[in-house]
Amino acid sequence: MSAQRLAEQFETLEKQDHAARLGMWMFLGSETLLFGALFAAYAYYRGIYPEEFVQALHHNSVALGTTNTVVLITSSFTVALAVHFVREGKSRLAAGLLAVSTLFGAVFLVVKGIEYTHHIHENALPAGAYSFLDQPPGGVVMGYTLYWFMTGLHGLHVIAGMIMLAAVGVLCWKGRYGAHRNVAVENVGLYWHLVDVVWIFLWPLFYLTD
Amino acid sequence: MIRAHVTTPKLVVSWVALLVLTFLSFGISRVGLGEAELVIALGISVVKTFVVLFIFMHLVEQRFANRLIVILTFLFIVLLVTLTVADPMTRKTFPMRPDPAARPYP
Repeated sequence: MSAQRLAEQFETLEKQDHAARLGMWMFLGSETLLFGALFAAYAYYRGIYPEEFVQALHHNSVALGTTNTVVLITSSFTVALAVHFVREGKSRLAAGLLAVSTLFGAVFLVVKGIEYTHHIHENALPAGAYSFLDQPPGGVVMGYTLYWFMTGLHGLHVIAGMIMLAAVGVLCWKGRYGAHRNVAVENVGLYWHLVDVVWIFLWPLFYLTD
Repeated sequence: MIRAHVTTPKLVVSWVALLVLTFLSFGISRVGLGEAELVIALGISVVKTFVVLFIFMHLVEQRFANRLIVILTFLFIVLLVTLTVADPMTRKTFPMRPDPAARPYP
């Protein structure tokens, strides 16, 4: 089993797993830079329009945003537990925890969907579609466009993460991953933690300002 | 073979710490400190990120190569954000911002 898993370009399984882990960290680095460019855009426009940004983002519900922060942090915790238990060979328990994490992801998306529905009803939409205020100042529209773009991109990452969590969860349940084979579970976990870290920064920038 | 330094109690403590930091950040944002609020909130976010990176993401027990990627990513983002923000913050000769009345949105 172990011998089959070793690809021919690697000397040992340890080196193979290290390569997989290193590759995942590099991918996460590039993902972080993608969001980094958006954070730079946020900082740039907030520097130019400080009052307008606060005015635009005052519209967001702090209660819903904070609920989502707690949901994502707890889902990160259950993913970390899943990785811990799959390493100890408790694949069924890990599968259950991955299923719970996927459900937390769904709860996050439902709460975000409720928020987006409110925004759509109030015409608090991105760019030219924004008509929540009459004659909105440029900074307000820019702030709200960045809100939609950054939370929307984050939401897509949540969906991607949920698909991967569910996939490795099913494979854990079937016994494909266990004490001696778990780097895929670890890497999916790393991706989910990145989604959590991005939200940890989006939350103060878009909800705690008023 | 990587030895597991991250144990179940450590994971639970990290989770509780993250929740406490979240509510601390929320509480501070309600006090009304003005400009300082954002700096404090982002500072708390950085602390939370360290907890997630080292405990949840097991960085504490991995090789330095993985940590190097995190360090480089962090440096690149600092470079990107500070140089970008340096532009609007140091403008003297241009109008600081477009006239809102002349253009409803940029």
